Amino acid sequence: MSANVQTLDISPVGRVEGDLDVRVDIEDGVVTNAWTSAELFRGFEIILRDKDPQAGLVVTPRACGICGASHLTCAAWALDTAWGTEVPRNAIIARNLGQLAESLQSLPRHHYGLFMIDMTNKNYKNSPFYEEAVKRWAPFTGTNYELGVTISGRPVEIYAMLGGQWPHSSFMVPGGVMCSPTLTDVTRSWSILEHFRTNWIEPMWLGCSLERYEEIKSYDDFMAWLDEKPEHANSDLGMMWRMGCDVGLDKFGKGLDKFVSWGYLPHQDKYNKPTIDGRNKAIQMPSGVFDGANGTHKHMDQAMTREDTTHAWYEEGAEAVHPFDRTTKPISNNEHDFDKNYSWSTATLHAENGHLEAGPLARELIYGGNHMEDWQYSDPLILDMYKNMGGASVLLRHFARMHEVKAIYRKMEQCLRDLKLDEPFYIKPKEQDGQGWGATEAIRGALCHWIEVEGGKIKNYQIIAPTTWNVGPRSSEEERGPIEEALIGTPIADPTDPVEVGHVARSFDSCLVCTVHAHDAKTGKELSRFKTS
Amino acid sequence: MANILWLQGGACSGNTMSFLNAEEPSACDLVTDFGMNILWQPSLGVELGDNVKKILKDCLSGAIKLDIFVFEGTVVNAPNGTGEWNRFAGRPMKDWVRELCDVADFVVALGDCATWGGIPATAPNPTDSQGLQFLKRDNGGFLGADFKGKAGLPVINIPGCPAHPDWVTQILVAIATGRAGDLALDEFQRPKTFFQSFTQTGCTRNMHFAYKVSTTEFAQRKGCLFYDLGCRGPMTHSPCNRILWNRVSSKTRAGMPCLGCTEPEFPFFDLAPGTVFKTQTVMGIPKDLPTGVDKKGYIKLTGAAKAAMPAWAEEDIFVV
Repeated sequence: MSANVQTLDISPVGRVEGDLDVRVDIEDGVVTNAWTSAELFRGFEIILRDKDPQAGLVVTPRACGICGASHLTCAAWALDTAWGTEVPRNAIIARNLGQLAESLQSLPRHHYGLFMIDMTNKNYKNSPFYEEAVKRWAPFTGTNYELGVTISGRPVEIYAMLGGQWPHSSFMVPGGVMCSPTLTDVTRSWSILEHFRTNWIEPMWLGCSLERYEEIKSYDDFMAWLDEKPEHANSDLGMMWRMGCDVGLDKFGKGLDKFVSWGYLPHQDKYNKPTIDGRNKAIQMPSGVFDGANGTHKHMDQAMTREDTTHAWYEEGAEAVHPFDRTTKPISNNEHDFDKNYSWSTATLHAENGHLEAGPLARELIYGGNHMEDWQYSDPLILDMYKNMGGASVLLRHFARMHEVKAIYRKMEQCLRDLKLDEPFYIKPKEQDGQGWGATEAIRGALCHWIEVEGGKIKNYQIIAPTTWNVGPRSSEEERGPIEEALIGTPIADPTDPVEVGHVARSFDSCLVCTVHAHDAKTGKELSRFKTS
Repeated sequence: MANILWLQGGACSGNTMSFLNAEEPSACDLVTDFGMNILWQPSLGVELGDNVKKILKDCLSGAIKLDIFVFEGTVVNAPNGTGEWNRFAGRPMKDWVRELCDVADFVVALGDCATWGGIPATAPNPTDSQGLQFLKRDNGGFLGADFKGKAGLPVINIPGCPAHPDWVTQILVAIATGRAGDLALDEFQRPKTFFQSFTQTGCTRNMHFAYKVSTTEFAQRKGCLFYDLGCRGPMTHSPCNRILWNRVSSKTRAGMPCLGCTEPEFPFFDLAPGTVFKTQTVMGIPKDLPTGVDKKGYIKLTGAAKAAMPAWAEEDIFVV
């Protein structure tokens, strides 16, 4: 056996949600090939067949306990477009507020609970930041871990005022929302936002005011901010950045360099008669496809979505199809055959661009484009950092996620200002047959639902989650999926504890649990575990 | 000191996310104040790969004493009883579950999926899913009706989609502080302390229920959700209006009908066309009446209620 081939077998990697196997080939301590396999099939699309048209409002939030509000948002808008409803402005605002509350919750929860505890891994014990990292971020006992995880429950109190509980409410319905918030719901929501800002965002995360942070528009601005005061450099953001660079998180995890976002937050006065085709021009946060190779932006169109089951555990033919044409036929023998079928996830593709990466990094790169309308949201920072840092990486991907605190917080404030308490929250719709599509951006990326209602029941329901984009297997053209590609080049310092693989998976905030099998890069044969030769 | 191992089968992580909303005690307090040793948890565990397998194997061998095994999600049996559609740490999850349940002092099924099968077990149950000791109302489930943890209790069922964080943390604290003997379980093995009363107990719409004043469509500022919008609050056992959600509200308070998610039949009527958010009636009388009320009694009660109804009850009450 070649002296430079290392072998490891990790099963499972936790702190991603669900069950995923990843096979990697490693040579000279670096990942040279990778295959991702989703390992849990629950069949939600099959359960929804022939059910009540509104069944998706009950079932799909329960597809994901982390992104339930995002699923509900999609399910409601999908029915709105299918039924041709009218949605009052208050209801659009209330839905947006619910979506945003869930996303705000996820920032500290994912950051401390899932991502940063890896900085306390012994792999980094020689870093000058290590001692401080353990003090702050050690699981359960770290000072900032405890505060960060506990305070992550506050934003969803706002969700509970609208929907009764988080997770798993169904308060968004075709024609609006079930709630009609009162003044005290609004004032209490303001108080929660203030508490969150003055107890976590400013003192712990930024070390400065949100207003000061908002002045950062470029890579140079960010670097100047970092050096400006010790409070900035020593904030959790400053520490994350400096330690991340010190341990090399800016050096791997690049990925496919092609990105997708559906955009989200329909404008309260522009999407009251929702249609599939009208959505791109009605959303505050623009949709897009960003192609890093040539630096171009364009809008994302749902009609361009394709699902390719060539390497997935379904028997639905070789042709990539639009989700409306999916039939969801699982094969019962889900053995790994890496030349054929090896995942429950389909390869989700753009008809022109192939595989695309979804997530906060994708959103933020798209906010830097010039393809959107003047009134739509834009922010040049992440695209500028991407250009200055030579593209994507684990560090930039996670930074982009945490940077969203700014937009999310301000949009929530705007929602609270815009609600008009004496106006309607619901206009009862007429149930009818039709095709619908609803989309949003869950915190971890592009999410959408397609529904076809026929004869007063669901004929076809299809969900494409952010992780479906990211964790998809190879396409029929043998292009790797985004996480597969991002794993290429990942250094593995200690094969008995390959935390770097975890960094990549967790930077995507994958909705799966990972297992990593290592194989001889030359022969493809699975080698015995934990032996280096 | 109590060792806890928490795994997920056919799950959505919703119970884990709900658990992380806990405040008294918080997830961190459980560790730092109550001496809970969380051996591993899918969303929180530090170890990965073979270090996780070692924990599992040490529990099975007895090298680590497994005090409490918490399971979230269904037991997936497909395809053909092999469980290969849900693999974990290199083998079907159901095989780990069987062996870990046999060595645990207490087994806690957390959320509807683990208790009765929940959403994944909804017809046609494509993953051949079961709860740990029930499938819907049928006792048995994956472990069989006779199963008991080593401490002598059957599976402790904490249902809900998801379960409220306090329902979990309080039971864990009770076990860890030696008060497991005080746990009284109902016929579905739910702790009575939480599941004897009804979802309606403490609902802010009780006066409207009493006068039979309906919320006839969503987002109205008055009325009870039972009569038209399919609310199952009077027939569902849960403390949702005694122990509020996220500290502030409940579904029925916010205007969302109770879906009955702490009961084995959830989702009711298998979500058949016409059943979602609509009260099912026969000749104008709800098919499912408040627990213990018969049809004759209901007609008398609502007749009298309507007659007694004060004018204010039809006006907005949850006002700006």
